[in-house]
Amino acid sequence: MRVSDKAKVRQRRITHGLLVLFSFSLMFLGKADIAALQKIRTGSSGFLAPIVDVISAPIRGIETMIEGMRTVASLRAENVRLQGENELLKRWKRRAEILENENRQLRSVTGAINAKNRVPITARAVTAPGGAFAHTVLLQHGRDAGIERGNPVVTADGLVGITIEVGVSYSRILMVTDINARIPVILATSSWPGLTVGKNGAYLELQFLPDEASPKIGDLVLTSGHGGVLPSGIPVGRVDSIENGTILVKPAVDLRNIGYVSIMTGGLDGIDTKKLSLEKFYTPLPVGDGVRLLEGLNSAGKRQ
Amino acid sequence: MKDQRSYFETADFQSALPYQFLAGAVGLCLVFIEVGMAQMPVFYGASPLLSWIFVYYIRLYHVSLLPVGTVFLIGLIGDLLLSDVLGGRATAMILAIYVTDARRARLEQYDFGSLWFDFVIFTAGILIFQLFFFSIINLAIPSLSAILFQLGVTIILFPISFFLITLSHRLLQRLGLAS
Repeated sequence: MRVSDKAKVRQRRITHGLLVLFSFSLMFLGKADIAALQKIRTGSSGFLAPIVDVISAPIRGIETMIEGMRTVASLRAENVRLQGENELLKRWKRRAEILENENRQLRSVTGAINAKNRVPITARAVTAPGGAFAHTVLLQHGRDAGIERGNPVVTADGLVGITIEVGVSYSRILMVTDINARIPVILATSSWPGLTVGKNGAYLELQFLPDEASPKIGDLVLTSGHGGVLPSGIPVGRVDSIENGTILVKPAVDLRNIGYVSIMTGGLDGIDTKKLSLEKFYTPLPVGDGVRLLEGLNSAGKRQ
Repeated sequence: MKDQRSYFETADFQSALPYQFLAGAVGLCLVFIEVGMAQMPVFYGASPLLSWIFVYYIRLYHVSLLPVGTVFLIGLIGDLLLSDVLGGRATAMILAIYVTDARRARLEQYDFGSLWFDFVIFTAGILIFQLFFFSIINLAIPSLSAILFQLGVTIILFPISFFLITLSHRLLQRLGLAS
């Protein structure tokens, strides 16, 4: 081997070593929430999203075709099912009207404050979670439609997730099933508070539920509204199994099949969405200090 | 008068850059297809690693077409679109191709069955690497069923993809666009 060849090989080895080092450090820097890196990530997601959208169009077409064929094959059975469901929904509608009226009257008696109205924006999902290590989805609208970081994303069935990255015309949502998703919830039947934790799988785990709460399979889990980021009362899922103290919740929304979603903009007044740090909102008090273990801001934005 | 035959002769690309660019573009397209496939409910949360199959094949038989930098880019874009840990897949892929490069002479002599088995080991290695660092960084272990499904689907799709890539390569050879 000539000297120049040796030098070239050495140079290549150094370059490769640096590349591995850079790639390795990127793993930790990416999690450090560095603003510049976040900007690059958001920008590149916005750049890549239209390309993904175009390339995945034929795949969406194939999926629609398969779905169409499946629907045609089960049209009769589906019709019978829908008729039954329609009857049930009519009964529920009547019940809802009665309850709505009752609710209005009770609100006027207690003087409860209505939560600020949020403006829903419909957006199409450009991607779906394709990796086993993250459950995030890119949506077609961003800052141009008034979307902010922290906006809840829902469908008619319930909560899908929350916006975590907002670009000019694209935004990324963290789905409720992602391992980083923690949703403050209550059990609809008993109002006991808890926290759903994603597992990067099909189910969520319900944690921090008090011992007094005795959840049953099929119980509805709703957002509690604690923290002020998510409004209360959005269905998150239903208790699916209880084994050895582990409570698994099946998401209310079929996350495998998301086409369009609603992003609920607004309602984040008083919360610095750029720095959603825990310390600003909750200060732990010494144990045994009194009745409350935490102090913080209430839904009206006042410290209590 | 100039010899007219020279006008009809195939262009002689001295530089490997156009081929490298083409191979890189195909690799990136496969990443986008992976993202697209995730929209099918069956592949929800675990689409097959098509780009890795492509990288493995090309690095084995046409190493000069896919430089390490391109592999890094393919992995990084996969991370941007599909992963939580930026650089996780990119690092795993680079390390895997270093090991492949070191064993290339032996791997080229393998029959398809042995090559497939080797691919299974490498793919499992990539996913275990990602799982390890993901767990360290997030202090949590994700659902293993999704990872196993992704591994299984990638392994199953390997022979089909291998056949398709070989077929495309032969087609390019016939057209005189590949060696």
